[in-house]
Amino acid sequence: MNSQATKKIKTNTSVNIWLRILKTMFLGRLTEERLVRLYHQGKIFGGVYTGIGQEAIGAVSAHIGTPDDLYAPAIRNVTVHLGRGTKVLDVFRQYLGRVTGPTRGRDGNVHYGEMDKGVFAMVSHMGAMLSVLVGGVMARRRLGKSTMGFAYIGDGASSTGDFHEALNFASVFDVPILFMIENNHYAYSTPKEFQYRCQSLVEKACGYGMEGLEVDGNDVIKLYDQIKIILEKIRKNNRPVLLVCDTMRMRGHGEHDDASYVPKELLLKYKEKDPIHLLKKHLLNNDFACEQDLKKLEKECLDEINQSYKKALSEPMPSPDDLLEGVYAED
Amino acid sequence: MPKTEMTYIDAIRSGLDHLLKDHKDVVVYGQDVGAFGGAFKATLGLQEKYGTDRVFDTPISESAILGSAIGMAMQGLRPIVEVQFVDFITTAFHQILNNAGTTYYRTKIPVPMTVRAPCGGGFGGGPFHSEELENFFCHIPGIKVVYPAYPSDARGLLYSAVLDPNPVIFLENKFLYRRIKEFILPKGEAVPIGVAQIRRTGNDAVILTYGAMVHESLHAAEQISAEGFEVMVVDLRTLKPYDIDAILSAVAATNRVMVVHEAWKTGGFGAELAALVAEHAFHLLDAPIVRITAPDCPVPFSPELERVYRPSVEKISEALLDLINY
Repeated sequence: MNSQATKKIKTNTSVNIWLRILKTMFLGRLTEERLVRLYHQGKIFGGVYTGIGQEAIGAVSAHIGTPDDLYAPAIRNVTVHLGRGTKVLDVFRQYLGRVTGPTRGRDGNVHYGEMDKGVFAMVSHMGAMLSVLVGGVMARRRLGKSTMGFAYIGDGASSTGDFHEALNFASVFDVPILFMIENNHYAYSTPKEFQYRCQSLVEKACGYGMEGLEVDGNDVIKLYDQIKIILEKIRKNNRPVLLVCDTMRMRGHGEHDDASYVPKELLLKYKEKDPIHLLKKHLLNNDFACEQDLKKLEKECLDEINQSYKKALSEPMPSPDDLLEGVYAED
Repeated sequence: MPKTEMTYIDAIRSGLDHLLKDHKDVVVYGQDVGAFGGAFKATLGLQEKYGTDRVFDTPISESAILGSAIGMAMQGLRPIVEVQFVDFITTAFHQILNNAGTTYYRTKIPVPMTVRAPCGGGFGGGPFHSEELENFFCHIPGIKVVYPAYPSDARGLLYSAVLDPNPVIFLENKFLYRRIKEFILPKGEAVPIGVAQIRRTGNDAVILTYGAMVHESLHAAEQISAEGFEVMVVDLRTLKPYDIDAILSAVAATNRVMVVHEAWKTGGFGAELAALVAEHAFHLLDAPIVRITAPDCPVPFSPELERVYRPSVEKISEALLDLINY
């Protein structure tokens, strides 16, 4: 018998949320690992862009919001979608260009959203979704909801004019948004040293008259505690906040990119800080879960993923007859 | 209801006023549109009347103005944003092309936003306050483009644009703002998007035009009427989707076609119209299609240069005689 199983499992108010976050991270990681295989098997159209190693930021923030909140995820935020309730099946449908998917084959890979879950579908232009989110939050609040927003961009997108315009705009109009920069050290092949010359991206916050904080983006416990405190402030003061999350892109920009330009030592350093590994360790070391429970959870996720990608593969493509359907909305 | 005389800009202000009054989901924002009333006074008095929540100023951030309007529209508001000069929309072009133009096709979420943009020259505005960029927008799927030439159309098309479930680029002509007046009803009716209007009848040739050039074309047609020729003038009013039936009927009735616009020639909207006529009415033509446009050079500042840059009544009437006598 596993010695772990005989231990008494402790609990505290956060354990349930940690386990939900862990499940979302499992789903994200395993879904993307499957997508990588499908890509190399030639079954994916276009590219595969993963958030492997960065799952914590999306997972924590997706679980911490309310149903009225709005999210503008970026390229590596599969855990935002999954945490807000998107089915793994829909992620596969999207990547496989199926008519059953969220964009019905009209768009691919990371460009999907689910408005009923408060999630915008991103466009490829870095930073362009930030002001869309600002407007969305302004509108929902006008319509009587207590919405706040969650924005995600990388260190690369922090160099865009859109980043500047949106943060300034949100600050001027007191729009409660948590702007999260996921500093994953590389924008495609460009290291962060070529994106900015400030010590830390958090310095940008003061220029917009907003509070700025830094956090370890791979440590779910710290992230959760930090974001929880920030959100209370955001909701109370109706002010945006900038949160810079340190993390690392563990694969290439996309699967077509072997990322040979990334130093091995850097990857090794962050491998030690893998967010799933860290959370599992925390849960086990503190007896908040036992090994078996976590294995079972992972297995459940894997089963769902295996069923989902097979189902998605069996589903139909869009009909060429529908090419021109819905370019314009009808009255 | 008695009609009152309104200028083109009065009609736009009147339209905004009625829209704000009748539709709680309408908000109006942009640079200097609040207490100041806008660079051209299109929003004068509206903030006072409807409050800073519904009519407000923004930072100089075209991309954030357009991006936020897209986000608002996706959440159920009907934002009307003013870009102070159409020239400045270029710093936010990706929001129109990539976000506004593709959102419904990709996600089935409508984007009922209206972007008001003053266009055109003729007043010494120089290269960055006089541009005519309609064809950039007309090229984009998912976007509608209107360009009124009269106060009644400006207001009527504004009603339609704002109530349309799609993003509409509402182009206004600065030269017409205070020059063109009409007696119109206090509220008036919506003018449907996609319907052209024949401004003058005639069988000797047709001018297909829009915006300020409708008026130049009408003057030119009057001039050559004295010489015994009657020219039809079609005011397109909507550039996307444009009124194909009205254009082809006009071609069938006249057999000679001139296109007049204030925008550059190469790849301009006139090229689209000429191609349409060549595709669908080639057999009806008695003469080559003539395009009277601005030349392919930046909009010049000096009046001496702008006078020859911008299509004029003289240029149009001269070309009309050549077309008719071909």
